[in-house]
Amino acid sequence: MTTAFLFLLLLITMLLGVPVAIALGFSSAVTIMIFSQDSLASVALKFFEAVSAHYTLLAIPFFILSSAFLSGGGVARRIINFAIDCVGHVRGGLAMASVLACMIFAAVSGSSPATVAAIGSVVIVGMVKAGYPKAFGAGVICNAGTLGILIPPSIVMLVYSAATEVSAARMFMAGFVPGIMMGLLLMLAIYIVARIKNLPAQEWVGIKQLSTSLWQASGGLFLIVIVLGAIYGGIASPTEAAAVSTMYAFMVACFGYRDLGPMKEIPWFKDGESTGQMLSRNVWQMTRALPFCVMDKDIRHTIMEAAKVSIMLLFIIANAMLFAHVLTTERIPHEVASLIVGWGLPAWGFLIVVNILLLAAGNFMEPSAILLIMAPILFPIAVQLGIDPIHLGIIMVVNMEIGMITPPVGLNLFVTAGITGESLGWATRAALPWLGLLLFFLILITYIPQISLFLPEYLDKLHGYN
Amino acid sequence: MIKNILNSLEEGFIAFLLVGMTFLVVGEVLARFVFNHGVLWIEELTLHASAWMVLFGASWALKKKAHIGVDAFVKIFQTNVQRVMGGIAVTISLAYCGILTYGGFVYLGKLKKIGIELDDIALEKWMAHSILVIGMVLLAIRLVQLLWRIIKGTEVGFGHVDEADTALEEAHIPKPKH
Repeated sequence: MTTAFLFLLLLITMLLGVPVAIALGFSSAVTIMIFSQDSLASVALKFFEAVSAHYTLLAIPFFILSSAFLSGGGVARRIINFAIDCVGHVRGGLAMASVLACMIFAAVSGSSPATVAAIGSVVIVGMVKAGYPKAFGAGVICNAGTLGILIPPSIVMLVYSAATEVSAARMFMAGFVPGIMMGLLLMLAIYIVARIKNLPAQEWVGIKQLSTSLWQASGGLFLIVIVLGAIYGGIASPTEAAAVSTMYAFMVACFGYRDLGPMKEIPWFKDGESTGQMLSRNVWQMTRALPFCVMDKDIRHTIMEAAKVSIMLLFIIANAMLFAHVLTTERIPHEVASLIVGWGLPAWGFLIVVNILLLAAGNFMEPSAILLIMAPILFPIAVQLGIDPIHLGIIMVVNMEIGMITPPVGLNLFVTAGITGESLGWATRAALPWLGLLLFFLILITYIPQISLFLPEYLDKLHGYN
Repeated sequence: MIKNILNSLEEGFIAFLLVGMTFLVVGEVLARFVFNHGVLWIEELTLHASAWMVLFGASWALKKKAHIGVDAFVKIFQTNVQRVMGGIAVTISLAYCGILTYGGFVYLGKLKKIGIELDDIALEKWMAHSILVIGMVLLAIRLVQLLWRIIKGTEVGFGHVDEADTALEEAHIPKPKH
């Protein structure tokens, strides 16, 4: 009864157009008022705790800000150039390069729509120019963009670890191998299609050009080393790594590439300057430019955009935590758990149920909110059935990926429709052929836990924990 | 004029919190590695800065139409029906603010009566947590303004911008025509 009321209220308020965050908070607060003995003061306490007691979730605004600096600061473009020089000479190489660029950008940003927007806006046009069908390019990007939440860092993984107390660092380790695998799988499929459809190849640019573009992209690539190195090496927590990477992204965008900020038009090298002159001039100009960063319009704009997304996301998360709190106090996870365990399902049967449930939910809700609502319900059952919590987390993330490219609320579809200027239906059809691949990948991830667990266990051994 | 000053103060405060959080955490990392010395109060301060940013910024995000929501269902109907539904949706949101403001007020009152301080910072807890009530009242003010615009007929609802548009904007791509 309580459960039905809670979910019904959520559904009605959401359909009326109430923002997701407020709909979650409203339905939980009203349910508590009607069905529970808890006072409203305790609701307020729980809500404040949700916004202020999760150090892991602090990484979310940091990763959003750092990826905003990178996509505004032309790092995405340099990553794409590097990827094209790497694999462009293979048949279907431009599409494969797009996938590679998505993988690299996914490793500096934690969100799928951001990855699609940053990479897709450049490469889809490029692919059409080179003679690829537009739908082919759009479909590839739409799918490769979902890697944004699988390849660490990932906002969805941070939310999972906040909901279940699983270490975020271990989740980040677990996502690495599946992410690379998914990327390679996509590239392989592209290669086969390119052979059949006779898609064009670029010319091999030569080692010299490749190393130039590698050097130009290195500012962005080094960020991956900082973030993943610090987390995998156990040197810093994901939150700390995220903050450092934000600082680094700002420096690279403003002082390294100089695509935004007070040093926009100032070149590193001027004609007829000696190395010493060049160095001292640059150091002096950078020092002088530093105070101007506070007033700079571009920087301000980037910060406010990131703040907007962070506030929106964290506000949803806080309200979803209140919702999850109501679920737990009403012992709903417990009831569902005993119901499902009562069916006598084996672990693999339970995982099918998980997949179906999440795929259905992923069509209607924001991924972070789904995770916060579903994780408390699914987690205890999984533990009882002997499924590794990390493995469950990766399964949930891959399910969310699929939710991003299925209508009606597949975020990646909206972004793809946006950057190509086509309709949502067109984007859906373009992405459809690749959906099968993603589903196949989901089966692999679900039934071969070693894909996800290999790296965290290996790193544990390396550190001598067991 | 006053409106402009207020607007830039609001945005400035949010930007200050976000940038401040970044500096705090980086500072903590530096303190640990370079000076080999952890700083206890930083974690608590950062967490509260984040809470202030989210709760203070929730109303700003409403103004910027950044809150995501589902409008596929509402869009089936005619404009006038949409306006009625929008009005109901805003009223529900106002009720949400009311509940949390009231609950927050009682909660702050209790904290003040007990008079405890934060764990690592010498500041009374009710002050640090007061943003809950402040934020909800600010959100309510912006909701009332929105409700007024819906009644006058200049707007039909929340006018959600989906996350997709925001991602596009971040990558500096013009918004698609829906």
